[in-house]
Amino acid sequence: MKNSFDEKILEEANDWVKANQKVVLATVIQTWGSSPRPTGSRMIVNENGDFSGSVSGGCVESAVVRECIGILKENKLFKKIEFKVSNESAWEVGLACGGEIAVYIEQIN
Amino acid sequence: MQLETLQEIIKKKINKSEFAIITNLETGDSEIFELNKPTGKNFEKYKDQINGFYKNKKNGIIENTNIFVETYIRPIKVVIVGAVHIAQYLIDYAKSLNFEITVIDPRGYFATKQRFPDIKIINKWPDEAFKEIDTNSNTALIALTHDPKIDDPALQHAIKKKFYYIGALGSKKTHNNRCERLKNAGYNEGEIDSIKGPIGIKLGGKSAPEIALSIIAQLVSETYKK
Repeated sequence: MKNSFDEKILEEANDWVKANQKVVLATVIQTWGSSPRPTGSRMIVNENGDFSGSVSGGCVESAVVRECIGILKENKLFKKIEFKVSNESAWEVGLACGGEIAVYIEQIN
Repeated sequence: MQLETLQEIIKKKINKSEFAIITNLETGDSEIFELNKPTGKNFEKYKDQINGFYKNKKNGIIENTNIFVETYIRPIKVVIVGAVHIAQYLIDYAKSLNFEITVIDPRGYFATKQRFPDIKIINKWPDEAFKEIDTNSNTALIALTHDPKIDDPALQHAIKKKFYYIGALGSKKTHNNRCERLKNAGYNEGEIDSIKGPIGIKLGGKSAPEIALSIIAQLVSETYKK
């Protein structure tokens, strides 16, 4: 899907920054197989773990939130995370659809 | 991403200008890319490849690099003829689907700002109204008045300009009559067949929001076939 001018996630990110929140932007940068959301899909996360938008159909959001809070704590500017097919040991963060996605997370600074 | 870049992106979206966001996934640098504008020196050597993604309206990582390109494409123009009840629901649905809507209706009591807030309305007959809109094969037409006086000139304009989607409301009988009129006006079978009539996919619904949903579903489907 082409990026929509109607999607307001970046505007929301800006609002959060204006409200003095620390914001991390997560973007789907690569997908393999059948993945729930296409490349370019976005979500934002603040230091409290509040989030908006999505990078999957609910499969990996919780892990992305953890990673985003992680880079804020470590004061890292960005990080690339890959999510693969779900298996028993990582049931919570796998993609049940059998797809794989790479997500790039970056602080807005 | 720097806050400055983010705010610049938001501005570009408001101005509806097309652009791409380019990010170096290794260094974390990102900037806005625009056609025919100089690229920052961190991205200069990838310029041709970025251009390729941009022209193909693609998002993704350039092969064998760490450069991620994300393209923002202007919304698709959809012209609705007939400021009727169904049009109000169509506008609601279209809000989050990257369509830019213009409503044409010469009947002033239908096409009012009160009924259609925040939408471009042209209170003129289609022949006059289309002079104010730049249309081409990336434009869609949804004709809803089922009044030949209003719908037909709009349909003829859409056929001539090769709109990628042309839909007209009305029963099979209404549509057959419409096809007959177009035939008599000199349009060929292929041109007449490009009109989706009766408009919409088969949902079985009869209410205004249900019909609007069936139309918007067909429009999205045809948009992906482009």
